[in-house]
Amino acid sequence: MGLADARAMHPGIDVVEADPEADRRLLEALADWCDRYTPLVALDGADGLFLDISGCCHLFGGEQALLEDMLRRFREQGFDARAAIAATAGAAWAVARFHGSATVPGGMEAEWLAPLPPAALRLEPDTCAALAGVGLRTVGAVKAAPRAPLARRFGKTLILRLDQALGHIEEALSPRQAVPELSAERRLAEPIMAIEDVERIVLVLAQSLRTSLERRDAGALALQLLLFRVDGAVARLPLGLSSPTRAPDRIARLFHERLDALGQNLDAGFGFDLVRLSVLTAGTLPPGQADLGEQAADTGETLSEFVDRVGARLGRAVMRRPVAVASHVPERAVAFLPFAPDMPAGPAEATPTPERPLRLLRQPEPVDVMAEVPDGPPLNFRWRRARYRIVNAEGPERIEPEWWRESLPVVARQENEEERTYEDRRKAAAAKRLAQRSRDYFTVEDAEGRRYWLYRQGLYGLSGQAPRWFLHGLFA
Amino acid sequence: MATPAVARDTVFALRREIARIEGRLAERLAPPGDDAVVVRGSGRVLGAADRLATGVPTLDAALGGGLPRAALTEVHGRQMRDAGAGAGFVLALAALLMKQAGASRPLLWIGTGDMFAEAGLPHLHGIARLFGIAAGSLLFAEAQKPVDALWIAEEAAALKSLAAVVLELPGNPQRLDLDATRRLHRRAALAGRPFFLLRHSAQAGPTAAPLRFVVAPAPAAPRHILGRPLAGSIGPPGFTVTLAKNRLAPPTRLVLEWNPDALSFEHRPALFEDGMQDPVALVSLSRHGADMAAAARPRMAYGMLRFPAAGRQP
Repeated sequence: MGLADARAMHPGIDVVEADPEADRRLLEALADWCDRYTPLVALDGADGLFLDISGCCHLFGGEQALLEDMLRRFREQGFDARAAIAATAGAAWAVARFHGSATVPGGMEAEWLAPLPPAALRLEPDTCAALAGVGLRTVGAVKAAPRAPLARRFGKTLILRLDQALGHIEEALSPRQAVPELSAERRLAEPIMAIEDVERIVLVLAQSLRTSLERRDAGALALQLLLFRVDGAVARLPLGLSSPTRAPDRIARLFHERLDALGQNLDAGFGFDLVRLSVLTAGTLPPGQADLGEQAADTGETLSEFVDRVGARLGRAVMRRPVAVASHVPERAVAFLPFAPDMPAGPAEATPTPERPLRLLRQPEPVDVMAEVPDGPPLNFRWRRARYRIVNAEGPERIEPEWWRESLPVVARQENEEERTYEDRRKAAAAKRLAQRSRDYFTVEDAEGRRYWLYRQGLYGLSGQAPRWFLHGLFA
Repeated sequence: MATPAVARDTVFALRREIARIEGRLAERLAPPGDDAVVVRGSGRVLGAADRLATGVPTLDAALGGGLPRAALTEVHGRQMRDAGAGAGFVLALAALLMKQAGASRPLLWIGTGDMFAEAGLPHLHGIARLFGIAAGSLLFAEAQKPVDALWIAEEAAALKSLAAVVLELPGNPQRLDLDATRRLHRRAALAGRPFFLLRHSAQAGPTAAPLRFVVAPAPAAPRHILGRPLAGSIGPPGFTVTLAKNRLAPPTRLVLEWNPDALSFEHRPALFEDGMQDPVALVSLSRHGADMAAAARPRMAYGMLRFPAAGRQP
């Protein structure tokens, strides 16, 4: 029916454009919310969710109670949901969509599926129509038909779906989130809103995680705090650590920083009724030895704890350590890595390095330069609207671009004389392009004693644009 | 005039007691020329072990034996383009410290993204070559806002597992007031290692730091080839250092030269025509209620480009 027809029939209707992206986001939010029942939640198309509740039902008082609890909560949030529990994903899908909310007893899948139409097997509409065309109008009829002709006529998908629904073939769900190694959670009869209460619960959860971690000789390397709001929204707070830990107070302190930094951005709404702390990644942490007084030596906060705290509050990218990279191009010669506790400390290696400035600008800044002779050092230059007269200059130090990182055109070798000259021309052009980007660095000192690192990009005498000058660094 | 030794001891003991009661930071108890005896607020006498000798007799005498190890030290640069000299001076002090300590603990350098975009990030190879500090002994923290940088600095100031902490900030951030410097100083004193507050184009405000240096570049000495200076060459860096705040001596100015091979300062005799003028930032002072934002404006303008966030390197 077109929009005009619909409007003619019901002039008062409200027209809203379809927004599949928003629908998707909503479905993902619901999937997040379903984490309260099981960590294994998978999306199903545009309007369904698969939940693997193996081993979770007893926490909610059985399958039926879980189903009722879930449907009631969905209804309270304003969703019309249908859910079914079955031993196979296919059977649950079929029953939920073509029968209604129900629990299929184990081993009864065939009986429950038999009266449903073939579309309940998650088939393409074409296949369903073709099945109906030959008189197979129920799953039971499809199941009773000989398999080999069915497969030949309707494709292997039909047989696969049938077997999956009946449990003859294992079907793997792909959960959205990685399943945490360990989790501890607390359900709250009275929702909490204050950040301090959340922090207190985090400490309690970290304490209960500690024993499990100790049993495995492990420590948490990545943690996640899940806060389930009463109205269904879920806040996920991931946290990375630089060294494995299981100390509850350290974990609590890190989440304190995290929550403190979030401040007003964490919307508690009407409160959180479920708080879960999960260990996403664990590292080995052998049990430490306490002294006779059961007290470890108080050495104050260690560097890695400090780095973790900064990372929890401001992001892990804030604290970085420099490492030397084997590259002669100044801006590529240093890389920054996240902090690691086993940082090699020691005096600088005594490798002879060329003189480098103390501060390197992120991007070379163009300067206006006046030079006595084209290839010589500059006489004066203008940088950021100020003019500098150069007293002393050293250089040049030529730094060529890294040709092995360039994607030069690969020319097939030709025996033909004409082709070879063509190849030579190509090579010459490539060499010229590289020469246009070669840099001649000068160390210059101005009248007041400031020292700068300037370079001229490109060479005189080549066709194309004239060389340009840049300021790349400041010396001490 | 010679005073009897016993009477002088009594006077010193009384002065020390007064200093302890008043909780003053430091007090010079000896007449000039004697060996400096300094008392901290805790009443403990600061000995030679608590001070980092710079190796320049004039400077050490003015500092009362050397730079205090457990304290906040302010280093000012007058303009943003002097950022190289300021960073060089701080790194030279850190290099002296790490040379003595054996470089087992890292140096933490805290700055804001704006600061590093404007004056550039300290370059590892330049630091290693001039100051002998390896990559493993360096840590950088780049915060987005001055408030965040201050937070990191305050947390790091209490950390014992760092060789030194450097906080680099341009201008006069609102949160960097007397209270903030007092917290930094107190924490550095408890942790027992220096904290350097490196500021560029900032107006000198009240600070809890016992020392404030103003560092400007000085023309480099020529290189020596075969024992002779090579005309027109640029040798090791020089710093014009002014001790603008010092409780132990009147303001001093001297030119230091850094020797990257021996990792030590050398004093270069120099004449100053302008006396002790313009000790701090090159900005005009407003009359009532200094407008810090306007005052900080003459620092070098930002480049034409907005620089991408850090971490783009591989």
